[in-house]
Amino acid sequence: MLQTRPARFWAHSRIRQFAARALFATVLASAALASAVTTPSADPLSPHSGKVVLVDFWASWCAPCRSSFPWMNDMQTKYADDGLVIVAVNVDNDREAALKFLDEHPPEFEVHYDADRVLARRFEVVAMPSSFLLDRDGRIVDRHLGFKVLQQDEYEAAIRAALGRE
Amino acid sequence: MTKQHGSGLSATLATATCTLLGTAAANAVLAEEADDWDFDTALLYYGESDGRVQDASLNVLANRQFTDDRSLSLGLTVDALTGATPNGAIRIGEAQTFTRPSGNAAYDIAPGGLPLDDTFLDTRYALTAGWKQPLGRLNTFGVGVSASSEYDYTHAGFNTQFARDFNDRNTTLSAALAIARDEIDPVGGTPLELSPMLDVGDLSNRRGAESKEVVDVVFGLTQVISRNTLVQVNYSWSDASGYLTDPYKVLSVVDPETGVTLPRAVTPEVVGPSHAFLYEGRPEERSKQSLYGQVRHYMNGKVLDVSYRYMTDDWDIDSHTVDTHLRWPVGTASYLEPHLRFYAQTEASFYSPSLPAGIPIPAFASSDYRLGRFQALTAGVKYGWRMRGDHEMSVRLEWYQQRGDVPADMLVGGQSAADVYPDLDAVIAQFSYRF
Amino acid sequence: MNERMLRAASALVLAAALDGCAGLGVAAWDRDVLARDDMQLTPDPVEAALDEHIYFSKEASSGGRGFGGGGCGCN
Repeated sequence: MLQTRPARFWAHSRIRQFAARALFATVLASAALASAVTTPSADPLSPHSGKVVLVDFWASWCAPCRSSFPWMNDMQTKYADDGLVIVAVNVDNDREAALKFLDEHPPEFEVHYDADRVLARRFEVVAMPSSFLLDRDGRIVDRHLGFKVLQQDEYEAAIRAALGRE
Repeated sequence: MTKQHGSGLSATLATATCTLLGTAAANAVLAEEADDWDFDTALLYYGESDGRVQDASLNVLANRQFTDDRSLSLGLTVDALTGATPNGAIRIGEAQTFTRPSGNAAYDIAPGGLPLDDTFLDTRYALTAGWKQPLGRLNTFGVGVSASSEYDYTHAGFNTQFARDFNDRNTTLSAALAIARDEIDPVGGTPLELSPMLDVGDLSNRRGAESKEVVDVVFGLTQVISRNTLVQVNYSWSDASGYLTDPYKVLSVVDPETGVTLPRAVTPEVVGPSHAFLYEGRPEERSKQSLYGQVRHYMNGKVLDVSYRYMTDDWDIDSHTVDTHLRWPVGTASYLEPHLRFYAQTEASFYSPSLPAGIPIPAFASSDYRLGRFQALTAGVKYGWRMRGDHEMSVRLEWYQQRGDVPADMLVGGQSAADVYPDLDAVIAQFSYRF
Repeated sequence: MNERMLRAASALVLAAALDGCAGLGVAAWDRDVLARDDMQLTPDPVEAALDEHIYFSKEASSGGRGFGGGGCGCN
């Protein structure tokens, strides 16, 4: 082992580079580990840090999604100023079918295409549709399997709670 | 009417569950306009060759979706039946005369002719209603009623079903129960089982209306095998008790040496049967079980459906049914669907094409070809096309044929299978419109 | 096959199937094909009921079909 004095050791640029990279890798790994426990880190979500995010997984072949879209439009309009962002994640294999659905149910929220199922797997989607409510710190605070028109008020109450409105 | 009443329970259950299935299908489909009512209508024609039964029916199934997967379905069928049906007597070289079921008149059959009873012109009305809803997230519950009426037969039934999903909805376990009570009030009264057919005007061997009760239970398992394949396995049990006989059917009493029907002494001035005929009689109880398996498989736009059913009962009847459909897309908005069905059954323990004279009359006997040993084949094709607004029309045309397989030891004397078993050839044509 | 055997065989088939079914299936997001109209177990309920009526009237067997399962698996 090299027996050099610490100052000289750290002065060496190669060592500094290596250490910097190692530290960066460790931080990234910890972040990844931490996010696996709290919030899956995903491209469509990172721009919205600090906001309450409703992540909704939908597909053109999912009948209840026809009811959830108008409701999500309603929520997005109503609470956008309070910091709500809705991201609708599409899991269709057939992009055409998804686009046709969007023609018939124009969204006022963001749509993300997850054909390779990265997000669906990370959120462990076990039912269609599924929605996950993330608080301002990116933690999942509510999860709904399916969309029930008669439970809209409960879904809205959870959003209001996360927004700090209640 | 000399037909097995389709308002029998299994048919009811099938109709009822099919009705509720209709709602299930509407739920599970690709997201469509989930607005108020969906209608599924069909005109059906069924016609047998040789002047036998012809049936035309109008069918409407209306389905109303409510929020969150709840639905109501209402079905109506109006059925008109004409034509002649075999009365159970065998064909012989002489002319034959039979008393009509009403006891008021008689009809003649030419020498060598298959004895057919053409008395009836019958209209049947049938109604079904069903409600289906989720119970919690993973369970489905349904109830329904059914009723039908024709001039000599009425039916009333109740059914209920329950299903639960497992394995992220890849597996479904289901159970259904149907109970029914049917009443039969035969024209002229119910004839005493195994009693002789009497002269015109003689109703001394007749009694009043009869009834039967049927209970049907089905247990099912549906499993998603892959993205493209679905499998279902069902076990069914059915128990019927009460009057299970066909009051309009007879058996010929034949000479044990020649196999020809014995003539009957006819009083001059009195019209009556020319030969010896006995009304049939069946047990008052029937218990059936069946095991059914179905696979539905999607391959590149085509859908293949294959199913098999094995049935066995305590009348000693065993049957096998193999049914296959292949839906073939034509262009973007239509399809062609060939269909092939094979059916084989063995005869009931008390089935006998004729009764040889001289032996004691058995407790139960029937020569109804529908309880005999035969094989049947259905072959047909359906063409369907989707119109704008998600309306769909389809037409189908099928041929159905039954060929008797009478065991040689059931033939008496000089009888041939063709004399004693009326083979059947029929055409099925249907036009459907769903909107 | 007599009736008791059929009952036992059926119970065994259903139990084995249920046990074996635990691992089978698809993810919730892959139900697109199964959600199709023509992939339902009884895509045409009226036609199925009409056929059932015909065969019940002309043969000694009836029923067998079940209900439920398959489809989009939604809600």
